[in-house]
Amino acid sequence: MIEGGIGWVAAVNLVIWTGLFLYLLRLEAKVRDLEKEP
Amino acid sequence: MALKPLSIAWRWALWVWIALAIVGAFYYAPLAQDFIGQSSRILFFHVPMAWASFVAFLAAGVWSVLYLWKRQPDHDRAAAAAVELGLVFAVLATLTGAMWAKVMWHAWWNWDPRQMSIVIALAFYGAYLVLRGGVEDPEARARLCAVYAVIGLVVAPYLYFVMPRQAEFSLHPQPVVNATAKVEMNSRMLQVLLVSSFGFTVFFFWVHGLRRRLLRLADRRSVAP
Repeated sequence: MIEGGIGWVAAVNLVIWTGLFLYLLRLEAKVRDLEKEP
Repeated sequence: MALKPLSIAWRWALWVWIALAIVGAFYYAPLAQDFIGQSSRILFFHVPMAWASFVAFLAAGVWSVLYLWKRQPDHDRAAAAAVELGLVFAVLATLTGAMWAKVMWHAWWNWDPRQMSIVIALAFYGAYLVLRGGVEDPEARARLCAVYAVIGLVVAPYLYFVMPRQAEFSLHPQPVVNATAKVEMNSRMLQVLLVSSFGFTVFFFWVHGLRRRLLRLADRRSVAP
């Protein structure tokens, strides 16, 4: 158990990481589409 | 074409890996002694960011050697992408370090040798981008930048590992591997730090591959009729 109740900091970190990860997956899919263009 | 299952799997494995590092930083690793409040937990993000920036700058040097050897434009793009990402990680390491310094030293900035060395690294690699922007001829630009990044193969290790240790006095905590080459860190803290550092390194190479492909697309469009 974390003293001072800063579990919310861990939660914010997880949300930021998940958001960044999903953004990069989407960006990668877009790059793949652009690479297929002649 | 959709991603192959293995490609999807390692990306999600990376998500799990870094999520575990985050959870470990807050729920598994103990607090460091003599640190104010929870401030020692920033270690699990600050050190991996600094490490990732170092890996990026070294990788830029290696790709630059490859460019000078084989003259492949893709190696030049890889070096440029590595420097860009290295700067991002170095800025994040500087900001997280300043946040920690505010808590522990009561000031965002103290001109500590560690802070100075990373600022010099930022200036050195910032100048690389200025150089890239200042030369129009693509071949001359790639050649000049490659030589500059190869010099970085000496400059970056000096700034990250030698210069801070040469200082007679520093407020910065001892590095993970200290002057006697011993690791003096709680084993749980060390585990989380290693997991986080490995995760950030893989993350760097993933984003780097993406940035490299974007630069390739931009070059393809700029030469298209």
